[in-house]
Amino acid sequence: MGFLKNFLHELGGMYLFSNEVKKTWLCNLKTDMPLVLEQVSSVGLRTLSTVCFAGFFVGAILVIQFQLMLSQYDATAFLGGLNTSACIREVGPLIISFLLAGKVGAFTAAELGTMRVTEQIDAIRCLGTNPIQYLVVPRYIAIVLSSLLLLVFGLLVGIVGAMLVAGWLYNINSLQYLSSVPRFTDGWTVFCGVFKSAVYGIIVATVSTYKGYNASGGAKGVGRAVTQCAIYTNLFIVFANTWTSILLDAAHGFFKTLWGGQF
Amino acid sequence: MSISFESISKAFGQKQVLDQVSFKVNTGEILFILGKSGMGKSVTLKTIVGLLKPDAGDVSIGEMCVTRLDEEGLSEARKLCGMVFQHPALLDSLTVYENVAFGLRTLSPAQARERVIECLKLVHLDESCLNRKPPEISYGMQKRVSLARTLAPSPRYLLFDEPTTGLDPITTNAINELIFELSRKLKVTSVVVSHDMGCAVRIADRILVLDNARILAMGSVDEIKENKAQLIQDFLKEAI
Repeated sequence: MGFLKNFLHELGGMYLFSNEVKKTWLCNLKTDMPLVLEQVSSVGLRTLSTVCFAGFFVGAILVIQFQLMLSQYDATAFLGGLNTSACIREVGPLIISFLLAGKVGAFTAAELGTMRVTEQIDAIRCLGTNPIQYLVVPRYIAIVLSSLLLLVFGLLVGIVGAMLVAGWLYNINSLQYLSSVPRFTDGWTVFCGVFKSAVYGIIVATVSTYKGYNASGGAKGVGRAVTQCAIYTNLFIVFANTWTSILLDAAHGFFKTLWGGQF
Repeated sequence: MSISFESISKAFGQKQVLDQVSFKVNTGEILFILGKSGMGKSVTLKTIVGLLKPDAGDVSIGEMCVTRLDEEGLSEARKLCGMVFQHPALLDSLTVYENVAFGLRTLSPAQARERVIECLKLVHLDESCLNRKPPEISYGMQKRVSLARTLAPSPRYLLFDEPTTGLDPITTNAINELIFELSRKLKVTSVVVSHDMGCAVRIADRILVLDNARILAMGSVDEIKENKAQLIQDFLKEAI
């Protein structure tokens, strides 16, 4: 019971905190932009190499697994399409958000937590500046925007990686590989990937800034905040993955009924 | 220009930190708050600037009742107060100049620079440290920069939360002298939270001793010296 009570308390806290962040952001759109851009470049550059590295190998692994299955049904021609679709819809956003959570989420929680326990946040407030506006909003937006930008890079590298491995291991040339892509990948597939990525980005941003901003209890407290940030982010992402998949499938079915074959 | 603390109570969970505490700090006065660790000294300071909300009672800064202000009003009230924290609390990603100029965003760059240099001089630092980041300077210097940052927006009230914690005796003396000099020179109302009775005896106008969530004694230095309470005697022995 204690765990459930704590969990619900944290969930409520995160909801209220993200509302405050959004409210503060909307009230100060102009003044925050330079800080946001600084954070986007910082978060993006910090994670780009990891995302590209992981993206390449995720694409490669998927190609190997799909080939194992498809070769049994003599359907290797669909390898490129299936692999690209799976990358965009599911694996890409998921892997990138896990990487973002591990690298940027943990860093943000630790950075804000340290600022909290060393009274830097109180000092900012005492100097008449709203710390949510100055510290949290730029990081929050930067994480969400970066998750979308990194998705693009990660997916491109993943697709290239998959294509190279398909050529190297299974003698499937690039044209063959790409020919089945339009059959499995359309605008809706891309929308699914972007939507999921945005949702996961919001989760990483909310949990990491909330846990860091509300850290207490010195160095130990910062460590606790970072650990909890990692646990909550991964749990919420997995949970959100299930529900976004169900929701998007339902929405796809609905639009298909509405517009028929045109959708 | 005075600070008044009326029947303030504050508890964290089961622990009562302040229980019906009332006192007033007069204009231009230096009040030292002494007490053992965990007796609510820092909580008292944070309540004055509205960083903590009391469970009961009212805090006023001049004409403003801090406890009844919303976040926007509090932001205005805080501009009148300068608070020096236990840690230097400087922003590591900013240079010394940017840290000191943090509260001067309404000024033009030239005016801000002039004010920053003026404040650094007040704390006996020169321009050579302007472009250095906090981790690149000593802890004592960081404390001075923190003090300069507090002074930059010209506060009417100065609040010091154990300003000499973690400093060697020479720097401690220098910082204490600085507090006295600044309070007198700038004619601001100051509240200093400290464990250091020796320093309090030297520079305070009045001393307040907190114990078990209540005021154990409050008065001028001479009155405190004559108080026979064991805690005060222990503090006095330490000072000698």
